[in-house]
Amino acid sequence: MTDVTIDLNGAKVSHAVEPRQTLADFLRELCGLTATHLGCEHGACGACTVLVDAQATRSCLQLAVMCDGRSVQTLEGLRNDPVMDVLKRHFHECHALQCGFCTPGMLITARDILRRLVKPEAQTVRHELSGQICRCTGYAGIVDAIVAAGQELA
Amino acid sequence: MADHAASDGWIGARLLRKEDARHLHGHGMFIADIKMPGLQDIAFVRSQHAHAKVRQVTKPADAAAQVFTLADIGPLHILEAGPELAAHRHSPYPALADGRVRYVGQTIAACMQPTRAAAEDLADRVSVEMEELPVVVDCIAAMRQGSPRVFENWADNAFITSTVNEGKPASLASAPIRLRRQFRMNRQATVSLECRGSLTYWDHRLNELVVYLSTQGGHVKRLGLSQALGLPEHQIRVIAPDVGGGFGGKNRLMPEDIAVAAIAMKVGHPVRWIEDRREHLLASVHCRDHAYDLTISADKDGTLLGVEGDVYIDAGAYALWPTGSFMEASMASRNLTGPYRIKHLKLNTFTVATNKAPMGPYRGVARPGACFAIERMVDEVARELGREPFDLRKQNIVTAAELPSRTAAGMRLDTGDYIASLDMARQMIDMPAIRKRQAAGEADGRAIGLGFAFYTEQSGHGTVEWVKRKSRVVPGYESASGRMLPDGSVIFHVGVQNHGQGHETTLAQIAAHELTIDPSRISIRYGDTATTPFGFGTFASRSIVFAGGAVAKSCRALVEKIQRIGAHLLQTDVANTRVEGGAVHGPSGKISFAEIAYAANVRQEHLPAGMDPLLDATATYEPTETGGVFSYGTHAVVVAVEPDTGVVEILDYVVAEDCGTMINPMIVDGQVQGGIAQGIGTALYEEIPYDEAGQPLATSFADYMMPCAPEIPKVRIGHLVTPALATEYGVKGLGEGGAIAPPAVIANAVADAFRSIGASFNETPLTPRRVSEAVDRARRAKGAAA
Repeated sequence: MTDVTIDLNGAKVSHAVEPRQTLADFLRELCGLTATHLGCEHGACGACTVLVDAQATRSCLQLAVMCDGRSVQTLEGLRNDPVMDVLKRHFHECHALQCGFCTPGMLITARDILRRLVKPEAQTVRHELSGQICRCTGYAGIVDAIVAAGQELA
Repeated sequence: MADHAASDGWIGARLLRKEDARHLHGHGMFIADIKMPGLQDIAFVRSQHAHAKVRQVTKPADAAAQVFTLADIGPLHILEAGPELAAHRHSPYPALADGRVRYVGQTIAACMQPTRAAAEDLADRVSVEMEELPVVVDCIAAMRQGSPRVFENWADNAFITSTVNEGKPASLASAPIRLRRQFRMNRQATVSLECRGSLTYWDHRLNELVVYLSTQGGHVKRLGLSQALGLPEHQIRVIAPDVGGGFGGKNRLMPEDIAVAAIAMKVGHPVRWIEDRREHLLASVHCRDHAYDLTISADKDGTLLGVEGDVYIDAGAYALWPTGSFMEASMASRNLTGPYRIKHLKLNTFTVATNKAPMGPYRGVARPGACFAIERMVDEVARELGREPFDLRKQNIVTAAELPSRTAAGMRLDTGDYIASLDMARQMIDMPAIRKRQAAGEADGRAIGLGFAFYTEQSGHGTVEWVKRKSRVVPGYESASGRMLPDGSVIFHVGVQNHGQGHETTLAQIAAHELTIDPSRISIRYGDTATTPFGFGTFASRSIVFAGGAVAKSCRALVEKIQRIGAHLLQTDVANTRVEGGAVHGPSGKISFAEIAYAANVRQEHLPAGMDPLLDATATYEPTETGGVFSYGTHAVVVAVEPDTGVVEILDYVVAEDCGTMINPMIVDGQVQGGIAQGIGTALYEEIPYDEAGQPLATSFADYMMPCAPEIPKVRIGHLVTPALATEYGVKGLGEGGAIAPPAVIANAVADAFRSIGASFNETPLTPRRVSEAVDRARRAKGAAA
């Protein structure tokens, strides 16, 4: 077991972990942060996306030991984030979720898109979302919501 | 979350969803999010062979008590699954292998450890000695003489065969146009983004088994678990928390569900199994996998006359409880005439056992295959006659004046204007402009294709239809239990499950309409057998018809009593009162529901003499026409195809659809867009091929192609609204429709792109390889002919 300390959503959290434990399992099983969902556990669906040192990262492909001393933010930690507030409102208004399982990962990725790009157009947003799977919505509402949030925030 | 726009009428309001907030804040509660003291994880040892005898299972000596085989978790009852027909062969499917495995991924043993990782480690240490047997992989080859058999005691590999013989098919032999075509819609998985899962424990205080299950219908699962475990139903509580998508794949009782429950009963502490994606692609409900060998007959003037041929359903190794995949064959054959005036039908259907994962329902059930076959053939007839496929459709489709109309296969198409939908789609896609563009050619060398496809979607079908299908349970009704609390707010418990459909919103809209109160005063609850009245769950595009009707009936019973109390308190006759704005109005004034509910619940002295207290009404509902009401629509698509690589890009996708009265048009559009995305997956991307040894070749998202945002266009949706006559408010179900037509319309568009060389595209998914090979074949054939 290895001791790992992570600056998690603004507070230091320490656990002893097996070196093989993923960041996703660290968050979900040890820290009780279940907004981070697991849809494939092999880095293809994006449901488990979190921010590691502010970079959008698949927590199923990241080992907890790799995050020792680093900062991790999950959807729970972005509750008062102004960009996230705008995104959530547009997701709601654009019917950008149905079952809700992909939603946390989509929101983290959407925030990352809007952090990097100013007023992205729909085609750009679609390209940027190419690593996120949603099985319910057919993506239209998600793309609309991110475009609308980008325009509001510009 | 943002408030909804005020609306006089809740029916038809684009009310924003009540279920969004928890998911947007990360507070959704899915199976894997639930923690229990003492919880241990299960991992399954699964067969690596497609067909084998299990000679010996050796448990690691240091953890033998944590490894369970069938002998360790029994006795269990094996449920007979499939239709209640003597002719349907029984395929006993044990929760863990009983000495024989029949597909790669079948459960052999279950391993329990404090974490999932440790349980998987233990599963790796279980040694299984197997003796391989000959495998059956192809459903057509499986029916040939001398094929190895999946079940030795069966005479052949068919679960069941049947024939359909309508009209005078013998007359077709002399038809001027006869085209024979073979179609395949290949196997895929349902791929809810949340995999399956179960967390189960024995509640020692209540002396009952509590089963948290990611399911589309808890009550029916409880019935099955009760029979499998031999445990009375009152000692089983099934709870479905948030369910991350179902699409049919969570509507069968699966061996893992039974094994986890049986282990929980043995060990006395909570156990859970969280399916991973590999298991999902390997051993969850598989779907589609139809093969057609059909001949369509037509007159020279384009009148479609009949369809003859064979329909094969590759049902996999076992029938899943309750209904198996028997409905695939009957629904495929009953939908093969589409909306056309085809009078003659002669089909042989074969529902075939193979050494693959068992088949179950997936959004659209059988109709994507049937629609693909008939709509491709209509285009082929048009090409043969040198006609515009759109015109041939219009010529043969039943008109509004002909509805209701009974198809040759016995479906009663109820209300609508099918031709108006065709015309609307043609106008939306701008067919003349596309034809002009095709004539001009593309600078990048790609070929442009335009396709049309029409579908119908049977929904809200009741008792008679399900009895006709010999269904083992008959989902001919739904239920709702409404309770007005002392402050006048209302809770409804319903028997359907909400896993993305927005029932918390739409059923509240119906209740708001009936009760004349704001939806924010109404809660819709579901997913717990301990609190909800019996219901069948969410599938078959049934919830808005059935549960919507049940909520409406429950409301009306409440309103009737509310009005009587209100009249009493207003000291007038009920006939002098009306209900409006959440109050009973009389000649001298009004009294609010809250005051009435207060009296009914906690101040009974204000009730009329002899009236029972409480405002509590449970209702069941079935539409008046139990053959179902039919949504329908026309899909039209423009594609650009790169001839050498076979890459298909969708340039434009339109739908002109009619699902009757819309309760919430925003949710309707979401269902259409989402269904089409899944249909595009079937059409272009998703496939689980098997090799000759029965090994599945797509067991991760690296080799199972899931469409993402760049692959799915924003669909332009046009609505016609023809209310159903047999349902409350004229609603029709629409959850599946979007997924039915995309394979047909996309294949028609790709074929249109290469109509000049006569290439055929009759197998899904239309992968780049299949498309480029078909183009190459057609080019060579044309070159050889020239």
